[in-house]
Amino acid sequence: METLDTEILVIGSGAGGSITAARLADAGRQVVVVEEGPWVDAGAHEPFSLEEMVAKYRHHGASLALGNPNIAYAEGRCVGGSTEVNSGLYHRLPESLVADWEARYAIDEFTPAELGRHADRVEQDLGVSTLPGAPPPSSAMLERGATKLGWRHVEFARVFRYDAAGRGTKQTMSRTMLPRALGAGARIIADCRVQRLVCDGDRIVGARVRRRHAGGAVERLVIRADHVFVCAGAVETPALLQRSGIRRNAGNGLKMHPTVKIAARFPHPIDHGDVPMHRVTEFAPSLTIGGSASRRGHIAMALADTGLPFDAALADWENISVYYAAIRSEGSGRVLAVPGLASPVVTYKLTDGDLSRLARGIVHLGELLLAAGATELHPSILGGPVVRRVDELGAWWDALTRSRANLMTVHLTSTVRMGEDRQRTGADSFGRVWGHRNLRVNDASLLPDAPGVNPQAAIMAIAARNCHEFLAS
Amino acid sequence: MLWFERAVVSALVASDDPAVRSAVEAFVDGSLRDKPEHLRVGVAGESILLGGYAVGLRAVGRLDGADALRARLESWESGPIGVVRQYVRAMKSLVIFAENELATSRAA
Repeated sequence: METLDTEILVIGSGAGGSITAARLADAGRQVVVVEEGPWVDAGAHEPFSLEEMVAKYRHHGASLALGNPNIAYAEGRCVGGSTEVNSGLYHRLPESLVADWEARYAIDEFTPAELGRHADRVEQDLGVSTLPGAPPPSSAMLERGATKLGWRHVEFARVFRYDAAGRGTKQTMSRTMLPRALGAGARIIADCRVQRLVCDGDRIVGARVRRRHAGGAVERLVIRADHVFVCAGAVETPALLQRSGIRRNAGNGLKMHPTVKIAARFPHPIDHGDVPMHRVTEFAPSLTIGGSASRRGHIAMALADTGLPFDAALADWENISVYYAAIRSEGSGRVLAVPGLASPVVTYKLTDGDLSRLARGIVHLGELLLAAGATELHPSILGGPVVRRVDELGAWWDALTRSRANLMTVHLTSTVRMGEDRQRTGADSFGRVWGHRNLRVNDASLLPDAPGVNPQAAIMAIAARNCHEFLAS
Repeated sequence: MLWFERAVVSALVASDDPAVRSAVEAFVDGSLRDKPEHLRVGVAGESILLGGYAVGLRAVGRLDGADALRARLESWESGPIGVVRQYVRAMKSLVIFAENELATSRAA
């Protein structure tokens, strides 16, 4: 079997892995990044299209957390990870949450000021900005509805750079931090799945990998490294640790933002090429309202959620957009690597309180959309009635049950929590996996809880902070 | 893709265009192949059970043609058995997404 030697092995190239690779390579360290998915040009496919789904998503975007109800989830699987397929929304961790996590999990040097310092640099490196002009109609509808109801709302910044003509380009990892890592001497190996880490006592000495070449040939390889950073996301990171015999607090406590949706029909055309950047924060952090990808395929799927005939509505699809209400969940889940299976089993237990919050969320979302001028609302509830007036929204309270709710999420976190409380965490305050001197986790798995906002800003700032500590130590 | 899964896709695709039907079937086939193993086994198991039931119905003349299968799928989707509801919903989502995305790209 071939071997490859490096000082630092980074497993995964998403928000956490790319920041890790760039920071360490910039500091002169020898870095190899392995990514399970392919290298796909960032502009090769239209965002959220069928082609993108096939090329860049794990399981064609159709993964599932088992439970009552099941919750569909999607994550990227390509060089750049989920940063290549998300909407680019960027929201720093709320200061109250930082203080809460620091106290509850005994996380050292975890303050708003410390995280802010690293976030500043990440934002400079990537380019984080708001729209240079007026928002598109899909986003303006959120603004209009919230204003009419007197609810707080905000335009979230995004990881975008705009040219003089106002055209935006999402600053994905394959456009930013990965080229930077390459420029500093790092090596990136795509189509390369890590099967297991190789342990020697309390040290990781390398990783066994399978690399798929363009013609389909599979090469088995051992990558030997002095230090290993696992940054494969909140599902694959704990699964890899478990496959490698590291099970202590790895895979427990999965958190997510369960989400309900409404397909809203307006009396005028709505844009479909982007995701709305406005968010309604009146009920944050427990409940956030925003807009989803709304290509024709997404609209058709959302209309079909009721199980009722939708041909007439679909004929008018250019006037329809999809919106969501996402909650911070009390429930939690597990990631379990099963011997012999390549994919881990993911489960999630939604509480009755979560279900109640989701019902409240979909009713509030309905209120907002009607206030914004929507004429017809199709909820993601099987058998849920189509609503045209505010006084009809009450019917959704009873309709949203475990057996009738169609839920999904794109934010998964907290499967290897960080902190000094060894009973509740899988890694120390800087991501060092308990019991292993040279093994670190540096991705969404470390977040102690789902933050209630898009987590990529938190993942990037924490990853940069942990690299700083690694280099200093 | 199992024969009943192919029959379900064929019943759910609205377009008569052979190219669209073929592309939707290819997408669903790829999605099913790419599913996590435990989920694929579950879907395949349901396909075999429901397919067997469909064969039985067909043998007694109660499931003739794609229209009858589509009507049967609609009744399963709102029926009392959770895993059957989810099966129909999963297959329907894949078909609806693929067919409508293909319609968009062909229109462009």
